[in-house]
Amino acid sequence: MVELVPSLLRQELANLAEDDRRIDGRSQWQSRDIKLEVDCLYNGDGSAKVTLGDTIVYAGVKFEVRTPWPDRPNEGSLMCGAELRPIAGRKYEPGPPSPESIELGRVVDRGIRESGCIDLQSLCIIPGEKVYGVMIDIHVLSDGGNIFDASALAAIAALRTTTVPASTFDIGDDHPLQVSKAPMMCSFTRVGGRYVLDANEQEELGGNERIHITLGDDGHLHSLQKGLKGVFTPAEFAEILDVAQLRCTELRDMVSAKEAN
Amino acid sequence: MGGYGDVKLLNDDGTRLDGRAIDEMRPLTAEVGILPAADGSAIVTHGLNVAIAAVYGPVEAHPRKIQRQDRAVVDVRYNMAPFSTSDRIRPGYNRRSREISKVTAEALESVVLVERFPRAKISVEIEILAAEAGTRCAGITAASLALADAGIPMRDMVVGVASGKIDNIVVLDLDKAEDNYGQADLPVGILPTTGEIAFLQMDGDLSPEEYNTCMEYNFKAAKEIHQIMIDALKAKYDGGA
Repeated sequence: MVELVPSLLRQELANLAEDDRRIDGRSQWQSRDIKLEVDCLYNGDGSAKVTLGDTIVYAGVKFEVRTPWPDRPNEGSLMCGAELRPIAGRKYEPGPPSPESIELGRVVDRGIRESGCIDLQSLCIIPGEKVYGVMIDIHVLSDGGNIFDASALAAIAALRTTTVPASTFDIGDDHPLQVSKAPMMCSFTRVGGRYVLDANEQEELGGNERIHITLGDDGHLHSLQKGLKGVFTPAEFAEILDVAQLRCTELRDMVSAKEAN
Repeated sequence: MGGYGDVKLLNDDGTRLDGRAIDEMRPLTAEVGILPAADGSAIVTHGLNVAIAAVYGPVEAHPRKIQRQDRAVVDVRYNMAPFSTSDRIRPGYNRRSREISKVTAEALESVVLVERFPRAKISVEIEILAAEAGTRCAGITAASLALADAGIPMRDMVVGVASGKIDNIVVLDLDKAEDNYGQADLPVGILPTTGEIAFLQMDGDLSPEEYNTCMEYNFKAAKEIHQIMIDALKAKYDGGA
């Protein structure tokens, strides 16, 4: 569907930015409140629900037992996908996976994969014959803006509280999935000419390009992605990277607190 | 990034397996106007990569639901030929090519003066004929050239270039082995005139300092590539001057 971006909204957002304000009263680098629930779905081997303002995202983890790829005989696999179904908002239509949902799934996937938080060799059952495939599925139920951060947080939180259902496959006792790191994503959207953290739906509607940064525990970059029309300068990137470092640490602490319960 | 096994990617003298210095780019050539049927076209060879881009349009956008009332849409299809890699790729669109097409289109929309063509569509077809790491960058460079060749008004070109990390050292322009066994890859699309960035992806592991070094290499290489692009356009339109 074509969303005619209301020029009034753009003008309003630009005026607010000039006064260093945002449309919902937040400051430039302030996120909306996040609610994180883990282990919330009965049939998921791991699951999480993230509520970020008006955005609601579920992530579920399931396992399968499969034969390994010929060139990686002693490694399991990890796959992350995202569904953007019409329930998530009026701009989403039924049909085959849209470029938007593919991008979302792949950007979250890269952050988790490249951080090396899961040792794929630990997912091997019998070398050359049987390995685990771990599948993370992200389901966006309500798009109130910034579904990327909500999805990435749900995915890693679900993964870190996942139980390997070994007994279901007659392979032994169920045990927790080993996830050694906690990569976190932080996204910025250009609104009214400047970047803001955690844009809401209106800010995305009247905004421009977005940048997604996934950082590891040590502050290293694991995944970057620029989406939508627009350009940025190296100086702008340096500024948001500093904000991302602080924000990702906060998110990581939030996930650790949930794990401790 | 693959990151498998202990594959040594740097020689003892600090050069790379193919003999390049760490901040040295693979050779790049460009030529425009190679496809008679298209409104604009270009071929870019970058190392062993071969990328061909064709531009059709602007034409009225169909179906109507893809039209934008205030600007043109840039429709990019990035496709790897089945014979472009060592193992044949199943023909057709996969998740990787869909994602690359999407972000490439968004990068090009950032430079094309799309406001001049409401309700129109500009089609950019990128075909990768040979793939040896760095095809999305070669594709972006070729697409920019093809848009220029088609006479589409733009505020700058987008230069595709990548750097990354191998054996804990930041290097410019990863080749196939370095991409498979390296630690990080940072492909960007740079606007050479303004120094802005229109395309950004990255995967692997980079510290903030290593990121800065990567970007320094990328900007340096973008300048070189930009000159080659200008020369290619001049070769067609300015009698090779």
